[in-house]
Amino acid sequence: MVKGLLDWIDERIKIRDLWNDFADRPIPGGSSWFYVLGASLVFVFSLQMLTGIFLAMYYAPTPDHAYASVKFIQEVAPFGSFVRGLHHWGASFMMVLVGLHMVRVFIFGSYKKPREVVWVIGVGLIAIVGGFAFTGYLLPWDQKAYWATVVGTNVAGTVPVIGGVLLRIVRGGTELGAFSLSRFFAIHTYILPWSLALLAGLHVFLLERAGAGGIWNAADRVPYRAEPLFPNQIFRDTIFILIVFIALAGVALLFPAPLEPQADPTDSTYNPRPEWYFYFVFQMLKIFEGKLELLGTVILPNLGVAALLLIPFIDRSAERDPAKRKLVMTLGALFVATVIGLTIAGARAPIVNAPAVTSPSVLAGRAIYARSGCSACHSIFGKGGKIGPELTHVAARRPDAQWHLKHFRDPQAVVPGSIMPKIDLSDKELQELTEYMLNLK
Amino acid sequence: MSEQGVSRRNFMIRTIIGIGAFIGAAIAIPLGGFGILPVLRKKEPDWSDAGTAADLVVNEPQERRFFQTVKSGWQEERVERTAWLVRKTGGSITAFSPNCPHLGCGYRWFSQDRQFKCPCHASLFDIEGKVISGPAPRALDSLSAKIENGKVLVKFEIFQVGTTKKAAA
Repeated sequence: MVKGLLDWIDERIKIRDLWNDFADRPIPGGSSWFYVLGASLVFVFSLQMLTGIFLAMYYAPTPDHAYASVKFIQEVAPFGSFVRGLHHWGASFMMVLVGLHMVRVFIFGSYKKPREVVWVIGVGLIAIVGGFAFTGYLLPWDQKAYWATVVGTNVAGTVPVIGGVLLRIVRGGTELGAFSLSRFFAIHTYILPWSLALLAGLHVFLLERAGAGGIWNAADRVPYRAEPLFPNQIFRDTIFILIVFIALAGVALLFPAPLEPQADPTDSTYNPRPEWYFYFVFQMLKIFEGKLELLGTVILPNLGVAALLLIPFIDRSAERDPAKRKLVMTLGALFVATVIGLTIAGARAPIVNAPAVTSPSVLAGRAIYARSGCSACHSIFGKGGKIGPELTHVAARRPDAQWHLKHFRDPQAVVPGSIMPKIDLSDKELQELTEYMLNLK
Repeated sequence: MSEQGVSRRNFMIRTIIGIGAFIGAAIAIPLGGFGILPVLRKKEPDWSDAGTAADLVVNEPQERRFFQTVKSGWQEERVERTAWLVRKTGGSITAFSPNCPHLGCGYRWFSQDRQFKCPCHASLFDIEGKVISGPAPRALDSLSAKIENGKVLVKFEIFQVGTTKKAAA
């Protein structure tokens, strides 16, 4: 039955030839565990596509609904936490695997003739994976999403001359809002997946045309040995993919993807931090200050990408044995060590503000403050009216909770001559408002 | 290829297929559940406030418009609804879904004839909702209703049409 159908199709479009070309592609020196990384990337990317499509069934890319819809996915929908966990941690897995894949290709000298174009496309693929990570960030519209994107897009604003316009194009306006979220969503779910799928297809197709590099000394080995891609290499790929899948599913189950409080542009107590894979950029932004800022935001990152692109055209000797490419290996090791070093430094960066306000009663108190019109007279962190006392550090002056409670109920009884009106709220609400006041130190 | 080579090749192919099937299932089950289960959940409707009970004339059906809060996943919406309310002699209340159980048209009460009439296919119902004549396969669909603190409360639901048995859509 299946054979009959295959015969019928094969008679017309010769799929068996196509399959044999693919399956019999010889790997010089035989299959190896070193070559499993590319296939595992195809797998993780496919998983990202699948989980992403299903997440999009419930997600709403607007600032007033995005957070609620992600909360629904995370807390209400069956399997929602697992599916979102796979997608969230899948991004980290992509980053690690793509980095290892590049390092492997670099060490094996596989980027050399005739595979230069395959390498160049690979660098493009890494850029796309970075773009995915950056645009995916904003979508939950929580505190991390908001602040990391504020900082990340401001980097575009430091570009000389066109910075201002560039920032508005990237953000969809001068500040983050409805246009930012919808354009990040469009880039994340339409532009980047198509770009990555097409380029990855080309990456594999061109490798197919150029032929796999295999081990560097394959030609010198006696007797000459080569194994076909299928089933030998695909067998190893599949085992590794299984390990990657179990690890990813395990992380997704044990560590649910975080969801911080909803984005709050007025919260100055929050400590914005990017995901770990952007720590090296984050750290560079701290190193280069003032006039040198441009170096960290624009020049060095672009030089880094340019260097990667140019590797196969600068290092043109036919020698692939890493032991005989000491200079290139040293430079490569320095590059990798710099990225890892900056990442570690970024991870250890001291937190400037005290940990963000997360106590529910303090948050509730802040909401009561906002909706009760307190800011008509009082100001906090420079925002609000000037009629009443400034409250930014009110807890330093008035650390007593009872004083606040009494004062809210009857200001004149506590401060004679005060023009503040009595606050008509429930005891619970006054308690929450008091906790917010005591948090303002 | 040697015999040993053939059996090694077969082992590898079987392993590839086996792992592929395992991962496929391990992904398909959660994704399928995630995609399908939230929309299959039966939601018990909440009581909606359908206005005061005092205005209702005994044994004189009246159409009432009111708002129902509908939860759609993460979103709560106020949806405008309508229902026919009938106050009985004893003071109890009956509410009918506004759609004819035949094919869903909106029917209305004709006071002089003491009948509900459907304008589409001429089904006729009495004040109890029972079919008098016409193609309607069942009586009008009653909704849970009660009077509390002078207010009429209705649990609005949508029913399948065209069937002899009343069932939530």
